[in-house]
Amino acid sequence: MIKLTIKDLRLFFKDKRSMLLSFALPIALITLFALAFGGAGQGKKDTKISMQVSDLDQTPSSASAMQVLDSLKNVELLKVPLEKAQENIKKGDQACVLVIHKGFSDSLTAGKELPLELQYDEAQEIQVGLLQQSLIPTIAMLPFNIGNPKAVMRNRFDKMVPGASDTVKQNIQHKSDGLFDAITMGEMQSDGNDNAGAGLFGGDIKMTKLVAAEKDNSLGLVQAVAGTAVMMLLFSVVGIGAGILDEKQEGTLKRLLYTPMNPIKILFGKMISANVISIFQLVVMFLFASLVFGLDIYSHLSGLIITIVATAFACSAFGVFLASFAKSRQQVQGLSTLIILVMSAIGGSMMPIFFMPAFMQKIAVISVNFWSIQSFYDIFWRNLPITSGTFLSRILVLLLIGTILNSLAVVLFRKNILKLS
Amino acid sequence: MIAIKDLKKSYNSHEALKGISFNIKEGEFYGLLGPNGAGKTTTISIMSSILTPDSGEVLINGNNIYTHPNESKRIIGVVPQEIALYNELTAEENLWFWGGLYDVPKTELKKRIDEVLTLFGLSERRKDKVSTYSGGMKRRINIAAALLHQPRIVFMDEPTVGIDPQSRNLIFEVIEKLHSNGMTIVYTTHYMEEAERFCDRIGIIDNGQIIAEGTLDELRKSSSAKETIVITFNNLNDDKVQKIQSYWKDCSHTDDKIYFYTSDLKTELSKIISQCSDAGADIHNIEIKKVNLETVFLSLTGKQLRD
Repeated sequence: MIKLTIKDLRLFFKDKRSMLLSFALPIALITLFALAFGGAGQGKKDTKISMQVSDLDQTPSSASAMQVLDSLKNVELLKVPLEKAQENIKKGDQACVLVIHKGFSDSLTAGKELPLELQYDEAQEIQVGLLQQSLIPTIAMLPFNIGNPKAVMRNRFDKMVPGASDTVKQNIQHKSDGLFDAITMGEMQSDGNDNAGAGLFGGDIKMTKLVAAEKDNSLGLVQAVAGTAVMMLLFSVVGIGAGILDEKQEGTLKRLLYTPMNPIKILFGKMISANVISIFQLVVMFLFASLVFGLDIYSHLSGLIITIVATAFACSAFGVFLASFAKSRQQVQGLSTLIILVMSAIGGSMMPIFFMPAFMQKIAVISVNFWSIQSFYDIFWRNLPITSGTFLSRILVLLLIGTILNSLAVVLFRKNILKLS
Repeated sequence: MIAIKDLKKSYNSHEALKGISFNIKEGEFYGLLGPNGAGKTTTISIMSSILTPDSGEVLINGNNIYTHPNESKRIIGVVPQEIALYNELTAEENLWFWGGLYDVPKTELKKRIDEVLTLFGLSERRKDKVSTYSGGMKRRINIAAALLHQPRIVFMDEPTVGIDPQSRNLIFEVIEKLHSNGMTIVYTTHYMEEAERFCDRIGIIDNGQIIAEGTLDELRKSSSAKETIVITFNNLNDDKVQKIQSYWKDCSHTDDKIYFYTSDLKTELSKIISQCSDAGADIHNIEIKKVNLETVFLSLTGKQLRD
């Protein structure tokens, strides 16, 4: 029995594929998820949530307010003109913009509600929610820090007790003014809770969805369909690509070379079949999502077709490239499992990309998944027209990835696969 | 029809071919005979233009196969050593695919597929997946797939390896029929009985070199191989063996048998029998082993063909 165990252990440790799947892959995924969920690198600049700010008031008060916001530990403030900021949100590059409207300074002095508006992408609600947690108490405390707290208090009291007599009002205002004077002169100590006034003084921000979901296409549904479809497509195209290695192993490739056909056509044939199957697979997946979950594919048909074709091209090129790179089906499978899961994790197939810290979002661009999923978001979520520069640029990237990988596959095919000896 | 000139091919430091040259006439059945690893498949691969030699030249019908690969490939059919078929396709689908690669017109191809399926006795199983076939049936389709474009030359690389006697006989019949129809056939094998049965001429290849070439008779004559008379005795003992060996030097002895080696069987057989009688040995049985390719090969290389 011990001999059998030792033999099995020997075989296991000699099998590179098993080692890869058992150790390298889980370690890679643990690292990725840890990074994605903030388990690593906490406190570094990369963990900050970026927020655009557009100052339409352009007063010393609004500048001071921005200074206060900029001092927040977990917020990275980006000062951007409103039009540009809105464009960034529509492109999916930024989650939101805090607009400081005209009259901010006057409202601050008069103790009135501040004309602040947070315009955001509903697809990035989670990030915006996290941002709100930091913003609300800070904004609520702005009158204390840079404004007129007495006026705020007076306005609040008027709202809270509309029927109070003038004598009562004057009495309370007098006492509250004294209280704020004491705070200002340092006679009363803060309890260390910077957010103490938040509940009392509001901190309301007008929330406006700049990019909103269509009735039938919820974010979760788009994410589930696009993310899963691209990841599974990558797995299946690798299988198709690996068929070329099976042909080599089984002798049919050699037999094909005996025929008058140009050898490179063998690879082109594989590329075309991988493309056709990929397109078919994506069509079936989106039809399924439409029929079963009600994803509205028909209002975005042209965009969907373009994205499916570009995604299929890039993914099938990836499959053929990997097959040309490897020496056997076993090697392809081992490599592909690792690469696809890593690409899917960083590219947004497993979880929406806005869940991830900024540096993870930056490296996501190396994955096919990212460009493809973002294109599907553009269609179903951001409702971008197919003529939109943002949408077209993503399609162009997918086509470029496909072209580069296909070209590399041709070179590797000649070097590795056609070398029969 | 085929001219092979001084082919050399090395894999890293191993010299697979060390300068092979031979010519094959139109309609000839040429056998490349040699043990495993002798260089037969490398030669066939170079002749089929899927492998480039380090030096040397292959002319098919006057055309250099590397400068005119397509002209050559269209007149050549190759039966690979391995069963190179798509197992999940039916026999008929496989034939449609392989025949289609040579641009045979559809109606003509359909006719030829019917013909080869009949020829190889597989018409009834044409719609079955190749994966359900026996080894012999797969071998038959493997050959059939190389004949659909009606090549003038066929390279057969050990086409009968590991098959049942029934399939072997059927394949033999087909091969003979193809040859009688004028097809030029280059046949590699390490089965000497196949080479003896089919080949007009044989090239014996060993260690990447053609060590002898000619018809079977020419090879027999050119080699130092001798015929063997094996006599089994009823009462053999050491005295009798010594006496017989004093009469006949070129012999060996095991148990109750003595092996006599001769290059002139007709005149020497009676002489040997009389000498055995003189020695008092009682003959039980006489067996004559003629010179065949196995013995020729042994005499040329000092090793068995299937080593």
